Amino acid sequence: MRTLDYIAPESAAAAVALLAEHGEKACPLAGGTDLVVDLKHSPGNIHVLVDVSGLEEFRGIEETDEGLRIGSMVTYAEIMENSICLEKVPEVVAASHTVGAVQTRNLGTIGGNLVTCVPSADSAPALMVLDAEVTVTGTDGERRMPIEEFFVGPRKTILEPHELLVDILIPKKNLGKPSSFYKFGLRKGQALALVNVAAALELKSGNIHEPRIALGAVAPTPIRILKAEELLSGKKPSKKNIEEAARIAVTASKPIDDFRASASYRRQLIQTLTQRVLTRSLEIATAS
Amino acid sequence: MATRNKDIQQKTEELITVEESKAPAQQPLAIPTDNPVAYPLELPQGEARLRTPAVGQRARRPDGRLHGLGQTQYIDDITFPHMLHAKILRSKYPHARIVSIDTSEAEKMPGVMATLTGAEIPENSFGPTYQDQPVLAYPIARHCGDGVAAVAATSEQLATEALEKIKVEYEPLPAVFDPLEALEKDSPKVHGGDTNIYTSKVIKKGDVEKALKESEHVFHRQFRTQMVEHVPLEPHASIASWDGNGRVTLWTSLGRITLGREDLSRTLKMPQSKIRLIGTVVGGNFGGKNEITTEPVLALLSKKSRRPVKLVFTRGDEFISSTIRHPFVMDYTTGVNNDGKILARKIRLVLDGGSYCSWTGTTIGKGSILAPGPYDIENILVEAFAVYTNKTTTGAMRGFGAPQVCFAYESQMDDIAHKLGLDPLEIRLRNGFSENSLSPTSQTLQSVALKESLAQAAERFGWKERQS
Amino acid sequence: MLVELKVNGEPRSANVSPETTLLKMLREYLNLTGAKLGCDVGDCGTCTVIVDGVSVNSCLMLAARANGREVTTIEGLANSDELHPLQEKFEEHGALQCGFCGPGMLISAMNLLDKNPDPTVFEVRDALSGNLCRCTGYTKIIEAVIDAGRVMNTEQANS
Repeated sequence: MRTLDYIAPESAAAAVALLAEHGEKACPLAGGTDLVVDLKHSPGNIHVLVDVSGLEEFRGIEETDEGLRIGSMVTYAEIMENSICLEKVPEVVAASHTVGAVQTRNLGTIGGNLVTCVPSADSAPALMVLDAEVTVTGTDGERRMPIEEFFVGPRKTILEPHELLVDILIPKKNLGKPSSFYKFGLRKGQALALVNVAAALELKSGNIHEPRIALGAVAPTPIRILKAEELLSGKKPSKKNIEEAARIAVTASKPIDDFRASASYRRQLIQTLTQRVLTRSLEIATAS
Repeated sequence: MATRNKDIQQKTEELITVEESKAPAQQPLAIPTDNPVAYPLELPQGEARLRTPAVGQRARRPDGRLHGLGQTQYIDDITFPHMLHAKILRSKYPHARIVSIDTSEAEKMPGVMATLTGAEIPENSFGPTYQDQPVLAYPIARHCGDGVAAVAATSEQLATEALEKIKVEYEPLPAVFDPLEALEKDSPKVHGGDTNIYTSKVIKKGDVEKALKESEHVFHRQFRTQMVEHVPLEPHASIASWDGNGRVTLWTSLGRITLGREDLSRTLKMPQSKIRLIGTVVGGNFGGKNEITTEPVLALLSKKSRRPVKLVFTRGDEFISSTIRHPFVMDYTTGVNNDGKILARKIRLVLDGGSYCSWTGTTIGKGSILAPGPYDIENILVEAFAVYTNKTTTGAMRGFGAPQVCFAYESQMDDIAHKLGLDPLEIRLRNGFSENSLSPTSQTLQSVALKESLAQAAERFGWKERQS
Repeated sequence: MLVELKVNGEPRSANVSPETTLLKMLREYLNLTGAKLGCDVGDCGTCTVIVDGVSVNSCLMLAARANGREVTTIEGLANSDELHPLQEKFEEHGALQCGFCGPGMLISAMNLLDKNPDPTVFEVRDALSGNLCRCTGYTKIIEAVIDAGRVMNTEQANS
């Protein structure tokens, strides 16, 4: 790797200041499972690494009045072992489990996953269906936004060069919401998603209430399928309308042809897997 | 072993203790979302195995303990004082004439102790069948993995940076990538001349055209297999060092060290008595470490710099620059009767022979002889051609041509069975080799247990039950 | 920059360039060549070591990040008198062939058994999913891990 400077600031404010000072020459280092690989092969303009992985402001998992707060620098392994997450957001745990392998999950962070922002980011669909919000901090202070607004394009988020992701908040009303996540990769471990999909919904008097459907790896960013959600909202669940919702998801997606799979295969995956996560969510909703 | 000497017999019987398997549960363990696999896998204890003191006994690998301790020394674990690290600059184009190479900027860098180009290699050609492979490409580079220059520097990072300073002027040439295209008359010729075919083989038995005409059904299909890279977990690695008596020693992950020493003797123009090749414990070979790669380069860099020089392939190098399995394009035309008996098989094999011959000679031989499959066929024609393409050198990989043709003939057997409405097992039992069958090259085969094996296997995994 | 850490219980340190990975520091500065360089991008797992109780790809972790931490490498598994049960069982079952995946595999297995002494086959596979092996097909490795778990359980129960 080319010679780089490494700085471990003591606070988020110090980190932001360093990033602002060095501009394009610096970048934040979280788990490093993506960044270090990039730096080895195509370091671009980066000369300074600002290690934010240990900053207190970005760590911790706690339930507050607002909901469940997960610090951006929490690792996938920590999420998988956390009892609150297991109880209240089990599909975020499931999504974390599908990332890489044990070693990757011990270093990799959920914030890093969102900031790297590849279309197939595994934590994204699971968080989107729970109406997650993200907090960002920079030289102008903190701001919060729905997670959908965070993603702009492949490997591009709304972050300015001096900004950092602070945490993710899952609103209180969605904790424990029946939900299901599924990732389809060419292997069971260490595989990129060909398609990943999540759904969440409630049943009120036998009708679907507040449905959410999100897909990854089928568009430039992870997406919610609003039309499918509209179709299902307030309706009695049936095989027919689940299939129809999945069909809408296929039309709303723009999967690519590449060496891993053809677009037509991915469309078949979208149809089947969307039905699967909706059905599973309904099963959970009915059982509870 | 039964013996009249009662003492020895008793001793032997005492030695033969069938060790109880210490492995876990005897029941099949169902793995969620998986096909259930039974651990441990049960192996039959045949009678003969119980009668000798050695065969059938558990033995420990001599290197097992060191492996477990992490003390096994692979090449990359070895260092010498003042050792340098080498890196190789690879061709920018799949096919190009090298007009000029300027290493002066790299040489100026502090810490860069030596550079090397193809023009400096005493004899720039080697290979087990044809000596068509250069140590460093010069004057023509034939694939993107072809090395064109090398540096030795005091650190790996420095060597990598030095490579960027080497200026190579290329004249790109038209390149060919598809083996069928390479067969065509007007295709770019990788090694000049008027054809890309560099070796071929024909096997003839009986009269295939006549038999095809007499067959009740003729099946034709083209099968293709892909490139496969060995991916040994340990990348290729070597270290070269000279002693005060003008002898060079190479520690290398190379498997075939006697052949390697011959190639070094040839390329360095040195007597073998002055070359010492130490093949150390290797971290996986599978055929990919059968030939020299950078050893002559390291020997020359070491000579120039008067220091030991080490080179370890990156994983990227492994994929583009180390040998890979030959992709095959296989045309199978098979004549069968209604009862599934094969009367004739006509096969054309086109081997994607990469940029250099390497182990293609062996591969085409094996591939051709095995192409008709283990079946009694009286009329056979196999025509095989290996063509040059501007891609990674194709070399040895477990099977040497057997896996590729196996994919083709077994797939076609299933096609035939399906079309004729026959049990895929039945059709194989009907055609398979038996004792004293003739191979495609008319060799009489003995100790043939093909049908018995198929039948036993079918019974063990419940073939009949699955079919119904 | 100076990096000070504990490796296998002993304080060690080295002066390394900031971008040096933990793997490089272990192999080239501390002469602990057990962890291997197989791919350098965190896919093969031959570089696996334990840092503060969790297994990581040391080729992806900067040495600087390991400052002040406790690292366990394959060299730390056996003490001077005894092999670790995993090393015993790997040898007994013939779980390693070329041996290159061994150090990483053993570290990952140890990390699993320390947290879950009685894993199912599925859990073993999941725990070893970050360690590739090109020689063995994994069967004997899995058997050896489960067998070692049994031994470690019995030892625990007896102590």
